[in-house]
Amino acid sequence: MHRLLLALLLFPVTLLAQEPIGVALERRLAEQLRLDVGDSLTVAREVDGVGRTARVEAIYEPRADPATIMRQDYRIRLHLPDAAELLGTPDRVDRIGLAVMPGVDPRVAAEQLERTAFGYDLIPTAEVAAESSTTFLVVSRFHRAIAIISILASAIFLLCLMLLKIEARKLDVAMLRFTGISRRTVAAALILEATVIASVGSVVGAVLAAGASAVVNWHYRRLFDTTLLFSLLSVETVLWAVGLSLLLGIATGAIAAWRLVRQSPLALWGRAG
Amino acid sequence: MTWSWAWRDLFRHRGRTLLALLGVGVSAALLLDMMMLSGGIERSFERLLLSRGYQLRVSPSGTLPFDTEATVGDVTALVSGLRADPEVEDAGAILGLAVQAKSAAGTAVSLVGYGVQPEAQGIYVLESGRDITPGDSNGVVLGLPAATQLGASVGDTLRFFGRLDPQTAAPGAERSLVVRGVVRFLYDARDQPSVALTLDVARWLAGPAFRDRASVLMVRVAEGPAPATVAARLQREWPAVGISSVDDLVVQFRLRLTYFRQLSLILGAIALVVTVLLVGTLLTITVHERLPEIATLRALGVARRTILLQVLAQGAVLTVGGGMLGLVLGLITARWLDTILTAFPGLPASVSFFVAAPRPLALAALTLALTGLLAGLWPAWQAARAPIAHTLRQEAT
Amino acid sequence: MTDVLVARDLVKEFPLNERRVTALRGVSLTVAEGDYCAIVGPSGSGKSTLLTLLGGLDLPTSGSVELMGTATAGLADRALTRLRLERIGFVFQRFHLLPVLTARENVELPMAELGLGRQERRARADELLDYVGLAGRTTHRVTQLSGGEMQRVAIARALANEPALILADEPTGELDATTGGEILALFRRLHADGTTLVVVTHDDRLAAEAGRVVRMQDGRIVTE
Repeated sequence: MHRLLLALLLFPVTLLAQEPIGVALERRLAEQLRLDVGDSLTVAREVDGVGRTARVEAIYEPRADPATIMRQDYRIRLHLPDAAELLGTPDRVDRIGLAVMPGVDPRVAAEQLERTAFGYDLIPTAEVAAESSTTFLVVSRFHRAIAIISILASAIFLLCLMLLKIEARKLDVAMLRFTGISRRTVAAALILEATVIASVGSVVGAVLAAGASAVVNWHYRRLFDTTLLFSLLSVETVLWAVGLSLLLGIATGAIAAWRLVRQSPLALWGRAG
Repeated sequence: MTWSWAWRDLFRHRGRTLLALLGVGVSAALLLDMMMLSGGIERSFERLLLSRGYQLRVSPSGTLPFDTEATVGDVTALVSGLRADPEVEDAGAILGLAVQAKSAAGTAVSLVGYGVQPEAQGIYVLESGRDITPGDSNGVVLGLPAATQLGASVGDTLRFFGRLDPQTAAPGAERSLVVRGVVRFLYDARDQPSVALTLDVARWLAGPAFRDRASVLMVRVAEGPAPATVAARLQREWPAVGISSVDDLVVQFRLRLTYFRQLSLILGAIALVVTVLLVGTLLTITVHERLPEIATLRALGVARRTILLQVLAQGAVLTVGGGMLGLVLGLITARWLDTILTAFPGLPASVSFFVAAPRPLALAALTLALTGLLAGLWPAWQAARAPIAHTLRQEAT
Repeated sequence: MTDVLVARDLVKEFPLNERRVTALRGVSLTVAEGDYCAIVGPSGSGKSTLLTLLGGLDLPTSGSVELMGTATAGLADRALTRLRLERIGFVFQRFHLLPVLTARENVELPMAELGLGRQERRARADELLDYVGLAGRTTHRVTQLSGGEMQRVAIARALANEPALILADEPTGELDATTGGEILALFRRLHADGTTLVVVTHDDRLAAEAGRVVRMQDGRIVTE
């Protein structure tokens, strides 16, 4: 349906002397115009067009639509004949929604109907959703790219820190090796330490992420006045992140430990010739 | 000499220092990208809006240009009135409509049509052939994607249809038009098939409901007055329409991109925190390892201030070195990220999200330098304050 | 003879866990110009603590130290640091050379801090290294030197700014007998050339070389 331009009483619209039509306003629009159920307003297709008096019969909360969240559009619902008359397009619609009988495949139904209904395109809703979600695919790809960069930075950061931490222990390691503790045992101890740090860090990170996710949702829901979720911390996401951070932490610890144990105890002590 | 010591000390453990430089580099790259993102698309959008010299837009009240299907009425009077204004150099109307045309192969191609006043249009530039002229009721210019889809070139005659009934596939109006030239539409999304016709021909194809109507008007302000001031004055004179300066449009655009601005702020802040942690940790551990040497220097008579400055200088080397690496990495990743984001459907192809302007580059460099300084403060203070006798005694035991 | 160093009733206490340990219990010492003074005593007698107080590396809990007539108590850190730079040379048991610098650069270090020009300090560093018998090792990194060579470099560094006093803490502690003997000979030469030396040592040979032996026990001077 063509988007209606809601014209306020301030503008010089030509009113048609008819019974007021019933309309339902979305909550944000009602708040913006300070209208309540029972109040009257004028609706028209164009600012300077012919208008109809309307009465607010209901105020509703539209289902949150991520596709329009940035646009801040306002929505109004009219009875179909009223809308058609207002738009000057009687007996015309943009689309018709069909619910198929239980057990019927929408694609199969679409193909059958297209053969008989000339001039129509029948598209399963899932395909429409997929096509109209290009925006989110773009945002998703962008987030993934940022995640890759962050993971790379974190990996380098982790490796640097692990190297620093473990190299600071070189005298301890020298003493252990002097007393006959094998390279393997020393390395295992260091890797175990790295594993503990990585595990604790991962859990702390997951808790931080949960907190950050809650803050993000609270903030953007307020900002855009919506019930949409902006950040979703699923079990899969947590497992993936914890798994990766564990892997990175242990791997960097192993690299640092290997660098240390491959040196002779004398070299570690600083007395190598 | 002590500066030689500071410099060489930093590279005593080459692997560690190079890793730190790399870490700072990646953080710096992220910081730079976020600086570029935070205002990039607005700058790009503003450049686009001003590219043909039209500083004002007139659209249906309460809407942005081409945001809805609403139109402005009494356009002839409006255009005349604007052109007669002493602070207006020129004004032109544009009507957007859906048109179809038959390709060389005989298939119907859906196109985005623009009805323009060729003497005052700001939405396309000529690439080949010639432009349509005022009053040209038989001519059309095609964008390259449209020309490709239609299999048409300059000089070809094509059949155009308006008000196509989707149910019966019957047009409400049709007309043969000659392709005068191929143009590049500045505001089109990538691969968008668009055509431009004269406003009269467009209205004819769109039907009687669009008589004397337009989707948007573009206004060029005369030299001298500030466009925003002219916009405000014209708005008072023409209250039934919405008159926006480029600044107004950029502000509206910015509101719609709030998510990206805030995301860039958050990620930029995280990058800074990571840099502080990385540089600070490296310097702290380095200072701790070198405490006996620092105590020796202090015992020999090297002043606290010198030690402090050297540790800060080490931090500065890490951040500056990492920053330079980050500049290169940042520009490369910015291109990659821009390729991702410019795939947004409906986004003008000529707009970029990441714009490498001097200001964000300088701001990123300054922020990074200050961050490096901040990161080095605590370890530098620790180094300068190290108790000499106690440290030397511990070293001896 | 001018008194280079005058210490009066020095007391030094350290916090240790919840107690206070008294390392010095009222030590007084005067060192005249040209003295070669050895401070000996068992471990824990307070020798090294006394040395750090004499050199201004730490401040006493009570008592006073005067160096060339300047009282160190009450001096701001900047002034005390400057005093060390200009007046005192330190030699440590573990040498404390900077491993990333060459032998020459280690010797130049105090001169650079004093503000001497590059050529001037280079020439002096070479002269000092020659004096300590390391003329051919000036460009060697510290890690390429033996223990004895490192201690010689440390001594050359201590002489860099022509100090009024050399304070040495166990200078032969890390060296074998032969190498230690070389350092002894060097100290002997320094003393013969007029340098004032205060040396903390366990080495009987070094103590025997000194003109004065100050024996400490339990934080006090027991014999002198």
